[in-house]
Amino acid sequence: MRAQRMRRTPLSVILGLLFLSMAATSKCLGKYHELLLQLQRQADLMQDTSTLLDPYIRIQGLDTPGLKEHCRECPGAFPSEDALRGLSRQGFLRTLNATLGLVLHRLTALYQDLPEAQQLVGLNIRGFRSNIHCMSQLLRSSSEAETPEPTQPGPGPTLPPTPPSDAFQHKLKSCRFLRGYHRFMHSVGHVLREWGESRSRSRRHSPRRAPGDTAPAGPCRGGARRTWPLWRDRRLMPRGQLPR
Amino acid sequence: MALFAIFQTTFLLALLSLRTYESEVLSEPLPLTPESLKVSVSSTRQCLHLQWTVHSLAYHQELKMVFQIQISRFKTSNVIWVENYRTTVKRNRVLHWSWGSELPLECAAHFIRMRSMVDDARIPKPGFWSNWSSWEEADAQNSLGHDPLFVFPKDKLVEEGSNVTICYVSRIHQDNISCYLEGVQIYGEQLDRSVSAFELKNVSFIRKRGTNVFCKVDQGGALGGIVLFVSRTKSIREKVQVMTWTTGKMSCFALAMLEWLQAGRGRRGAAGWMALERQPRWWPEDPEVLEEPKDFSCETQDLKTLTCTWDPGSDTGLSKQPSQSYTLFESFSGKKTLCKRRNWCNWQVAQDSQEMYNFTLVAENYLRKRSVSILFNLTQRVHPMTPYNLFPKNVGATNATMTWKVHSIGNNSTLLCQLELLAEGKVIQQHNLSIKVNGEYLLSELEPDTEYVARVRCAYTNHFWKWSELISQKFNTAEAAPSEAPDVWRNMKMVSGHPTVSLFWKPLSKVHANGKILFYKVIVENLDKPSRLEVLSIPAPASSTELTLDQCSYQIHVTAHNSVGPSPASVTVVSGDPGNEEVESGRVNGTEDGFSVSWKPQSGDATGYVVEWCDGPQDLPCVLQWKNLGPNTTSTVISSGAFRPGVRYNFRIYEISAKRMAHLLEKKAGYLEELAPSDNPQVVMSNLTSHSFTLSWKDYSTESQPGFIQGYHVYLKPKAGEQCPPAFEKTVLPEDSVCCKHTTDNPEQKTFVVENLQPESVYEFFVTPYTSVGEGPLDAFTKITTPDEYSHILIRIILPMIFCVLIVMIICYLKSQWLKEKCYPDIPDPYKSSVLSLIKSKENPHLTIMNVSDCVPDAIEVINKPEGSKIQFLGTRKSLTETEFTKPAYIYLLPTEKNYSGPGPCICFENFTYNQAASDFASCGHFPVTPQAPLHQLGPLTSPENLLKALEQNYMNSLGEIPAGEGNLNYVSQLASPTSGDKDSLPTNPPEPALCSEYKMQMAIPLGLASAPPSENSSLSSTTLLGQGEHCR
Repeated sequence: MRAQRMRRTPLSVILGLLFLSMAATSKCLGKYHELLLQLQRQADLMQDTSTLLDPYIRIQGLDTPGLKEHCRECPGAFPSEDALRGLSRQGFLRTLNATLGLVLHRLTALYQDLPEAQQLVGLNIRGFRSNIHCMSQLLRSSSEAETPEPTQPGPGPTLPPTPPSDAFQHKLKSCRFLRGYHRFMHSVGHVLREWGESRSRSRRHSPRRAPGDTAPAGPCRGGARRTWPLWRDRRLMPRGQLPR
Repeated sequence: MALFAIFQTTFLLALLSLRTYESEVLSEPLPLTPESLKVSVSSTRQCLHLQWTVHSLAYHQELKMVFQIQISRFKTSNVIWVENYRTTVKRNRVLHWSWGSELPLECAAHFIRMRSMVDDARIPKPGFWSNWSSWEEADAQNSLGHDPLFVFPKDKLVEEGSNVTICYVSRIHQDNISCYLEGVQIYGEQLDRSVSAFELKNVSFIRKRGTNVFCKVDQGGALGGIVLFVSRTKSIREKVQVMTWTTGKMSCFALAMLEWLQAGRGRRGAAGWMALERQPRWWPEDPEVLEEPKDFSCETQDLKTLTCTWDPGSDTGLSKQPSQSYTLFESFSGKKTLCKRRNWCNWQVAQDSQEMYNFTLVAENYLRKRSVSILFNLTQRVHPMTPYNLFPKNVGATNATMTWKVHSIGNNSTLLCQLELLAEGKVIQQHNLSIKVNGEYLLSELEPDTEYVARVRCAYTNHFWKWSELISQKFNTAEAAPSEAPDVWRNMKMVSGHPTVSLFWKPLSKVHANGKILFYKVIVENLDKPSRLEVLSIPAPASSTELTLDQCSYQIHVTAHNSVGPSPASVTVVSGDPGNEEVESGRVNGTEDGFSVSWKPQSGDATGYVVEWCDGPQDLPCVLQWKNLGPNTTSTVISSGAFRPGVRYNFRIYEISAKRMAHLLEKKAGYLEELAPSDNPQVVMSNLTSHSFTLSWKDYSTESQPGFIQGYHVYLKPKAGEQCPPAFEKTVLPEDSVCCKHTTDNPEQKTFVVENLQPESVYEFFVTPYTSVGEGPLDAFTKITTPDEYSHILIRIILPMIFCVLIVMIICYLKSQWLKEKCYPDIPDPYKSSVLSLIKSKENPHLTIMNVSDCVPDAIEVINKPEGSKIQFLGTRKSLTETEFTKPAYIYLLPTEKNYSGPGPCICFENFTYNQAASDFASCGHFPVTPQAPLHQLGPLTSPENLLKALEQNYMNSLGEIPAGEGNLNYVSQLASPTSGDKDSLPTNPPEPALCSEYKMQMAIPLGLASAPPSENSSLSSTTLLGQGEHCR
C-alpha cells in the first residue's frame, strides 16, 4: 500500500501539472454550446475502434477465431455509462479527465505496437482534455457563487502494480483495454449529448452503481482491473447561466 | 650448483606429495559422494541448474571425476535422461551443471539425482560409483497461480525451422481442452491427467509480434496462451560455422556462460545477471540472426598490448535477449576475456615473451554462438602509433626541412618512416627513411609561394605489418620575383582624334607569379623624339589600361611586381599613326575543337603573330582575347570555352615585326557552328501596280545572324489555280500548302520586284533568309491585292474631267441665271401668287382672277416717275411712312369702249411690285406706289389719249430707254379685285361704285423699294388707292 501511494503521488502531481499547464496555456472557448458540441464530436471520434482497437487486433494476430471473442472489455475497467450519468457535471469532467490521463499513460506503453495511431490518439486525448478543462472552468465560473470547488482533480486514479505478465496476457489485456476505452468514449458521448438535451428536464439521476462496476470474472481477474475515480459530488447548477 | 639444488628440492617435494596422496587417496578407498546437491529451475531458459560439492577431498587435492546424473519426470522411476559429466574436482569447489528440457519445466515435476566416480589416470582402474544422492525435486508448478489453464513455455524465442514443444497444465481436469496455433487446432500427447504436450515442428515466421498459441476449455471459457517468437533466418546461415547445440542446450550454454561470468567477476557479475532477469518484459521486434564476426584481426602498437578488432555485424539485442556478447580466448595461454565493446577488445601481452598467439573470438546470444580464430606472431602484428610533432623548419622559397618524432617500440627498435609532400592534393615527393625517435628531412625543389602538405607515417622495420596513421602538416614556401613577363596585347583606336592604345595583359600563372602580384608597372618611351619616360603603376588585379598618344611611335614596357621584385618586361611598340588597316576579310570554319585559323605571311622578318578576337557575341562588350604565336607559324586553332554555336566571331591576325610593332594581316569571320536564321527581315512593300510590286528589307543586318546569310527566299502565294510568276518555282511548305518560291543568292540584294501578276488578285508573300543550315522560321504571309488594270487611268482622267464639267456647269448656271434675268425674266403667274390666297381669306372669299380677255383696255396712262425722285428713293431707302407723300401713284385705265357710259365698272391697275419679298410684304393686298408722283399729277391720265401716250412712251422706255437704275425693276402683276382692300382706312369716302374692277397698274419699281417693309402707311396708301377708284368712273 505504501508503495502504491508512492507511485500514486507523482502520478497525481504529473496529472495535476498537466491539467494546470493546459489551463495556463490554452485559450478557452467561452461559449458553452460550442464547447459542448466540440466535446461531443471529439468523443465520437475517439469512440471509433478503427483508430486503435482494430489495427491493434490485426497487428497482434488476435483476429483469429477463439481469440477474438476474448478481447472484450473487462467490467469495471472503465466507468460505466450509468455511473457517468450519475455524476454531477463537475464530477463527470473530473472523472473523464482522470480516466483519460490514465489512458494516455497506458497508450504510451503501447507505443511500440501502434506508433502512428498512438501518436494521433494521444493528440486527440490531449485536445479533449483541454476542452474538458475549459468546460470545467465554464461550469466553475458559473457556480462560484455557490460552493468553491478545488481545481485539482483529486487524488486521481491509481495505477496498481501490474504483475509480470507474458506477451500473450499482455496482448489480451491491451486489447481489452482498448475496447474498454472505445466503449467508455462512446458512453461519454452519450452523456455529453444528454447535457445538450437536458435543458428542459432535470439532469439529476439517482446514483446508480453501474453493472460494470461489479467485480468481473474470467479473463479480467488478477490485477487487470483497476478502480476508476468517480467524483460523485453533485451541486446545483446556477440557474439561468447554463442549460439544465 | 644452484640448478642441482633446485632440482633436488623439487624432487623431494614431489616425493613427499606423492606419499601424501597415496596415504590420503589411494590408501583410503573412495567414495567421493556428491553433496549439497541443489536444483533450480530457470523458466526463462527452460534449464535445470544443478550445483553440488565434493567435500571428501583433501585440501589442495584435485581429481578428475565423472558424475552420473539421472533425471526423471513426473515420478522418479520415469528416468528420461542419464548423463556422465566429467570434470576436475577440488575440495569445496562448487560444481555446476545445467540441463535444458525440451518439455517446458512448468508442465512436469523433475527429479534429479547423481553419483560420482573418480576418473583420474592416477587411480588404477576399475573405479566404482559412489552411492546415489537422494532425489531432488524440481517442480515449477508450485509457482503457478490459480488460473485454470496454463500454457508453456512463455515467450520463447526460437529460430525459424526449429522444433518447439509446448504444453498446458489444467487445474480443472477436464478433457475438453483444445489448443490452437494461430487459430488452427493442434493435437498433442497427454502426459499426465492434467498435462498435455504438443510438438511444433519446423516453426515458421508469421509476424513480428509473435505466433499466438492458445488453449481453451471448450465450454468453460478459460483461456491460456503463449506467444512464440520466431526469428527469421537468412541464407547466410548455412555458410557460417554453427555450434552444435540444440535450441534447448544452447540456452543452457548461455546460462553456463553467465555462470562462468559470475565466477570470473564475482558478485558484480551476479548482480548483472539479476539485473538481466529483472529487465522489463517485452517481446522482440524482428530478431536478427547472429552472424560470424568479420574482419577479425589483432595488432599491437607497443608490443605490450594487443588490440583485436572485428566487424560485429548487426546488433541482435532485444529486450528479451541482450546484445550478443564477445569473448576472446587465447589457446596457448588458455586465457580468455569478455570483451566490453562490440567491435574491439584489448589483450595484455604476456611478459614471458610469448610470440605466437591463437585467438578465438566467440560471439553469442540467446540463440546462437559464432566464433572465428586467427593465429599470428606478435612481432608481425606491430602497428606503430602515429608520429607526432611534425613541423616545417627553415622554410625558403624552394626548400624546407621537416622534423617529427615517433613513439619507440621496445628497446632500440627502428621504424621505417615515409615522408610525403603533397601539392594541390597530389603527392609530388615521397621519401623513406629509418629513424629511432626523431625524424628530419630537407625537402627541395619546391615552388615559391606554394602551399604544401607534408605527411609522415611509420612502420615497424623488423616486419612490415601496417603503416601507422598519418600525421599531416601544412606549410607555405616563401615568395620569389615573378619569373616570366606578362603576356601583353594592345588595341589601337582613335578617341576624339587622338590615337589611343588600350593595353591588356593576362595575369601571370601561379607558377610564374611566384607570389601575390601587387601591381603592374607600365613604362612608355617615345621612340621618335627624346622625352621623359612616362611611368604608370597599376595595382593588381587590374589587367588593362589605356594610354593617349600622339602621332609618334612609342615603346611600352609592362612588368608585374610582387613583394620580392619585378618580372621581366614585356615590350610592345605602337605607332600613333594606325595606317591603313583595311585588309581582305575571309571566312573561317569552326569545328568542335575551335576555329582553325591560317594566314599567309607577308614579310620575312616577322618575329611572331597574334590572333585577336572577342569572346562574346558582337552585340556584347568585347572581351578581348589574343593568342601569341611563333614566327614560323601560319595557322593555329583558336579554342575557347566561351565559344557558342550561332555566334559570329571575328578574328584578326597581326604580324609582329622585328621592331615589335603589330600590323594587321588578315581578318577572318566564322561560326563555331552555323545555325539557321532565327528571325526574318521586316519587309516593306512598295510600287504596287496591277502586275507587280516591290519588296525591300534593307534594314536587315546580315552580320548579326547565326550563320552566313547566303541569300533569301521569297515565297508568294498566288490565288487559287493561278500559275507561279516566271521568276518563281512551285514549292511545298511545311504545312503542305503549295506556293511559289524565288531564291536570291546574293545576301546584299535586299529588294525584289514581284512581276507578272494578275490585276485584281490577292497575293501573299513572305521573305526569309537562308544560311548553309537552312532558312529562317516560317512566319505569317503578308496579304496584298493588286489593283484593277484601268483603275489608275480612270482615276487620272475621269476625275479631272468631272471636276471641269462641274465647274462649267456652275458657270453656265450662273450665266443662265444672269441671262434669264437679262433676257427673259419670268412672267408672274397670278395663280401662283400668295397674295391671292391672302386676299381671299381676309377680304373676299369670292375674289377671282380676272382673265385678260375679260378686260378691255381702253387706255393706259403711264406716268413716268421722275428720275430724281427714283434716285432719291434708292438712295434713302426709307420706309414709306417716312416718305413724304400723301397719295400713291396709280395707273388709271380708262375705258375706251363706246358703250361705256357713265359710271360703270372701274378698272384700276394697282402698282404692285412683283417681287417675292414685295409680294410677301404686300400681303395686305396693296403696295404703295412711288410717292414721287403726287396724286394731282395724275390728272392728265384721266384722258384716254394721255394714257395711251403714256403707255406708249412707257413701252418705248421699257424697250430702249430703261435707265441703268431700272435694270432691276420687276414686273408687277395685274390683279383684279372687285372690292377695295381696306375700306375702313379710307381717309375719304367717295361714292362707291356699284361694280368696280380695279386694274392695278403694272409698272416697274426699284428692287430696293420692293423690299421696303410693310407698314401702316402702306395700308393707308392702299386705302388711298381705293379712294382714287372714284376717279376711274
